[in-house]
Amino acid sequence: MKKFLNELEAGNMLSSYGIPMAKSIACKTIDEALKEASKLKFPLVMKILSPDIQHKTDAGCVILNVKNIEELEKSFIIIINNAKEYDNNAKIDGILMQEMAPKGLEVIIGMKRDPQFGPVVMVGMGGIYVEVFKDVSLRLIPVKSYDVEEMIKETKLYKIIQGARGIKYDMECLVNVILRLSKMVEKQSEIQEIDINPFFLYGEGKGGKGVDALIKI
Amino acid sequence: MNNHLDSLFNPENIAVVGASNNPLKAGYVIIQNLINIGYPKKIFPINIKEEYVSGIKSYESLCDIEDKVEMVVLIMPAGAIFDVMKDIENRMERRNDIKIIVCAAADFAETKNPEGIERQNYLMEISKRYGIRVVGPNCIGVIDNVNRVDTTFVETLLPKESRGKKGGISFISQSGAVAASLLMIGASQPAPISFNKFISIGNMADIDFIDLLEYFGNDVDTKVIGLYLEGYPDGRKLINTMANITVKKPIVVLKVGRSEKGASAASSHTGSLAGSDTVYDSAFKQYGVTRVDTIQELMDTLQAFDSLKLPDDGNVFILSQAGGPGIYCTDSVSDYDNLEMPVIGDSTKEKLKEIVPAMSSICKPEGYADITAAADVRHHVESLRIVMDDSNVSSVILITVVPTFLPQKELAEGLIELLDHEGYKDKKTVFINIMSGNYVWECRKSIEDRGIYTFTTPDLAVKALSNMVRYTNYLKRKRGK
Repeated sequence: MKKFLNELEAGNMLSSYGIPMAKSIACKTIDEALKEASKLKFPLVMKILSPDIQHKTDAGCVILNVKNIEELEKSFIIIINNAKEYDNNAKIDGILMQEMAPKGLEVIIGMKRDPQFGPVVMVGMGGIYVEVFKDVSLRLIPVKSYDVEEMIKETKLYKIIQGARGIKYDMECLVNVILRLSKMVEKQSEIQEIDINPFFLYGEGKGGKGVDALIKI
Repeated sequence: MNNHLDSLFNPENIAVVGASNNPLKAGYVIIQNLINIGYPKKIFPINIKEEYVSGIKSYESLCDIEDKVEMVVLIMPAGAIFDVMKDIENRMERRNDIKIIVCAAADFAETKNPEGIERQNYLMEISKRYGIRVVGPNCIGVIDNVNRVDTTFVETLLPKESRGKKGGISFISQSGAVAASLLMIGASQPAPISFNKFISIGNMADIDFIDLLEYFGNDVDTKVIGLYLEGYPDGRKLINTMANITVKKPIVVLKVGRSEKGASAASSHTGSLAGSDTVYDSAFKQYGVTRVDTIQELMDTLQAFDSLKLPDDGNVFILSQAGGPGIYCTDSVSDYDNLEMPVIGDSTKEKLKEIVPAMSSICKPEGYADITAAADVRHHVESLRIVMDDSNVSSVILITVVPTFLPQKELAEGLIELLDHEGYKDKKTVFINIMSGNYVWECRKSIEDRGIYTFTTPDLAVKALSNMVRYTNYLKRKRGK
């Protein structure tokens, strides 16, 4: 039976392979949340931690820009209620509190196993409309840096990274993240699918940060 | 299992089970095609009723043939397979000479019914026991224009003198009907397409893409490999095989199944976006395989790779004798990121101005010249020479829409003189568009007879050029390391 890592586990796994992810802490109760919140910088993003809810935004289980302790307490309750309403049988591991990463260029970085070709890596314009725009490209794993550069160039992302709107984004960071993901998949043969969406890519030399990740094993 | 693929393309003597004197039957056409291509060794028709088939002595059974038989073509009704395989078994016990079976007959496992599957299993069981390699079942057969073998039952109306004319293109088709169409289309060009080897692999019960790709990859006569592909069970193996070849020679693939629906139930974005065809497409890009979308693009690209010099880069000059088609071509060029219209040297511009008709427009825009309908043969040839001599130009698209006052025979001769005799076709890549239709057929034919492929319309030339440039860039990267 295939299953999903929860977002915290997924984020930790990606971080351990050098993929920058937003700092997150999980908590099971409101008390725990209030205590742990001191280790993070407000504003925060709060999300449900459940292996059964993949599209958290649709389920009303993501609250952005939580500015203080009072808002944190309220958000905790709202998210738990929405999760139950969305799927009463969903297993709930708790709530994830995540430092709100400054917004960057939204990129999706993914991986899946093709029945004929084995593992492939994907990159493209991220966000909630990825399936609508379908502006993604793929390569077979393992990839070399040239392959990664080529695959980025195949998407419209590339022109934006090159400064189509005046700001140049950190191409080098994106290339490295994809190379690391490829390495990770080579080592972790049990991973079936990965989505990092969105990965916020920042200005040239400023890196980037994954804020949401899904790993299916 | 031993390889035997040399015997597939150059068999010593061929027996055709199901050979016929009835012109409506495939068993008739196979014998005719073998005769017409001038197969230099012996043909043995097998037919229980006839004494002669197409004037060649016929045999009742494979067991009756005294000479060596390396290839057996099966075109009898599929139900007879059990008897035929028993004959083959007998012969192998006594003579052990058969190396290849080309099972053109249909109604085997492709029907997915138990009888068909059983027939194919029996064919394979006996063949494997004796180390015989099998092509098909359900295929149109094999052509080798070097060794003059043609076991297909396709009639293309190709004139006899054009049969057995070898080129550098070797082709593998998963569909018999597409294979047949390609042969027919190929025969209906100004100069018929010259395949080197051509094979339809049908059900792939034994010989499949991998065997043939490896064989063509190592075949010195094969300059470019073409594929019609529907799917292959082990995509990784296919792409690894291709990757070993594309560093040596180009592979052009018409892969169908693009419209296949993605896995809509996929749980991740990646799962739903990375459908099987998308993965094929990416794998081709990653390993330098040229994918084409249409039969026309397939034919153009294969012939461009076979007959034209590989361009050094994407710098292409458009030399047109007419405004409209020139702009049409410019639009096409701008559709491709890997193509560029270069700025040529001032001295080149001066030289052009000196020789072309007064109304001509030179380098407006850069990388473009319109020498107008006033251009005579010398204007065409000399402006082409001047542009090709410029160091910023890697390829030239020459467009001319022939008016009644431009003599076509002289035009062809002038271009042949420059490109072939003076060797300009080996210096740079030239895409010739002499427009259009039947009116210019002979002119194109005489140029193509010199091994210089010509294009029907400029957009098709641009497509082929872009495919070639992508391959050039792949090689540069591979060899740069």
